Amino acid sequence: MRTIGNFLFSNLIKLLTLLTVLSLAFVLIFIVQEALPAFSETSLTAFLFGQRWMPMDYGNGVSFGIGNFIAGTLAVSALAILIALLIGVGAAVFLSCAVSENARSLLYPLIDLLAGIPSVIYGFIGLCVLVKLFQRLGIAGSGHSVLTAAILLAVMLLPFLVSSCSETMLKIRRRYLPAASALGISYWHTVAHVVLPLSARNILLSVILATGRAMGETMAVMMVMGNANLFPTLLGKGETIASLIALEMGTAAAGSTHYHALYAAGLVLLVILLAINTGIALLRRRLLRQEGA
Amino acid sequence: MRVRTSLVRVWAYASMALVLAALVFLFGYVFWQGKDVITWEFLSTAPSGSVLGSEGGIWPAIVGSLCFTLTAVVLGAIPAIATALYLVFYCRSRRLQSAIHLVIQNIAGIPSIVLGLFAYSLLVREFAWGRCVLSAGVALAIMVLPFIEVRAEKAFRELPDALVQSACALGCSKLYTIRTIVLPACRGELVSGVILGACYAMGATAPLMFTGGVAYASLPASLTKPAMALPLHLYLLLAQGTSMPQAYGTAFVLMVIVLVSNALATGYARRRNRTWKQP
Repeated sequence: MRTIGNFLFSNLIKLLTLLTVLSLAFVLIFIVQEALPAFSETSLTAFLFGQRWMPMDYGNGVSFGIGNFIAGTLAVSALAILIALLIGVGAAVFLSCAVSENARSLLYPLIDLLAGIPSVIYGFIGLCVLVKLFQRLGIAGSGHSVLTAAILLAVMLLPFLVSSCSETMLKIRRRYLPAASALGISYWHTVAHVVLPLSARNILLSVILATGRAMGETMAVMMVMGNANLFPTLLGKGETIASLIALEMGTAAAGSTHYHALYAAGLVLLVILLAINTGIALLRRRLLRQEGA
Repeated sequence: MRVRTSLVRVWAYASMALVLAALVFLFGYVFWQGKDVITWEFLSTAPSGSVLGSEGGIWPAIVGSLCFTLTAVVLGAIPAIATALYLVFYCRSRRLQSAIHLVIQNIAGIPSIVLGLFAYSLLVREFAWGRCVLSAGVALAIMVLPFIEVRAEKAFRELPDALVQSACALGCSKLYTIRTIVLPACRGELVSGVILGACYAMGATAPLMFTGGVAYASLPASLTKPAMALPLHLYLLLAQGTSMPQAYGTAFVLMVIVLVSNALATGYARRRNRTWKQP
């Protein structure tokens, strides 16, 4: 009885793990399968670099080029990560080096709370506050712009950056602080000249991961970026791949080229993110091995 | 040298202040703007009005969101916790472990909108389930799976080795050890991970836009029917410019759910019980 129970349980666990692994394969297979027909209509280069997105024929023919959307996605993510980096790393230094264990265990849940806010709420507040503010200040016309979206996105990325950076900083502080204080180096001097430089590599990894998250973000960005097929400029409108899919999927007739092209756009996004995540996982393993040696 | 040191210090304090200010502002703004909209009637009636949604409440959206979340958590948490158990207690091969980690990190990296696309092509069309709670639930489940797995695995790994090794030394089987020692000892973290995962699924809009969420529906009667959801309702109220007060009210309810579930999760994780209970 006991062995049967154990046998069943261990196989159940294995089966469920297999299911987890297969879910990634399923997502990939189905997105690729639905995306491929799009390339019978347009070539890959025209799709990736073309700037004209015309899914309906209004006399000039249809064309599917997501160049601007890719550029929009990259621009808004890069800008957001720059802003988030400035504040996030500072807050991580604070959490890992400036407060006691007790205060830290109080502050971490607050950071988690910030992470728990749904993106549609970020978009909502972005619309009500940021866009209005930009409008009143007379920047960016209607207030919808790449910069607006980037600021909003930066706030959304903060909790992720803060928690991943402060974790590594805490480890480094614990490892080097005793030696530094034995040498008579002041506390904040150690933080500025030992902890920060040593965490640089890990911060870089977190930044790349956060960029991936930023690129996949849909709702908040879509609500404040203006959604126009333009090449992104700081104060101009733009549109990301994720917004494109969310906005047009409802109107695309199933099985049409438009529908397949949206899947192809999703595939492009998926491939970028898989590359980022796999690359980071491999880099991190190498980094750990170096630190272990 | 000195300048850099004090700059770093000022920078750290200022950044943290800014983060906390953002947090307070986000909650404060929604609570302040939404407080007058919240009445019992708003919470307990269906949307109505000449333009549907301009009057009335959000009751079907609350129930719908609960249905989506529950489906997602049930479908997502079980494989997530099983995978964590496998990685910590069953998998002996280092190579397989890191391969599975890689897969999980990649699942976490799939943008939620792409999960929506996946569920649409496979479940809504290929399996002909149509737009329903179950189709969207599967997409959300894949979204929360890595989220819960990472937390569960961390809890299992942080368990003192002595606890598991003593059980093994006493000749307990793996199943018995897991059932009577590992799971009870990690209950706090597991429950809080599941609650936070539920909160994450509850707030997601993109995966259910074309897989199961609809603008208006009555109370969901079964898993094979579409339903309303709070975040989608909020988005549609804004996108169609239906009504600002209703939007503030919906946001208020969402934020209360986020706040309460985070408080619950934090409280639960603190109640860890890592030592033997003396009889």
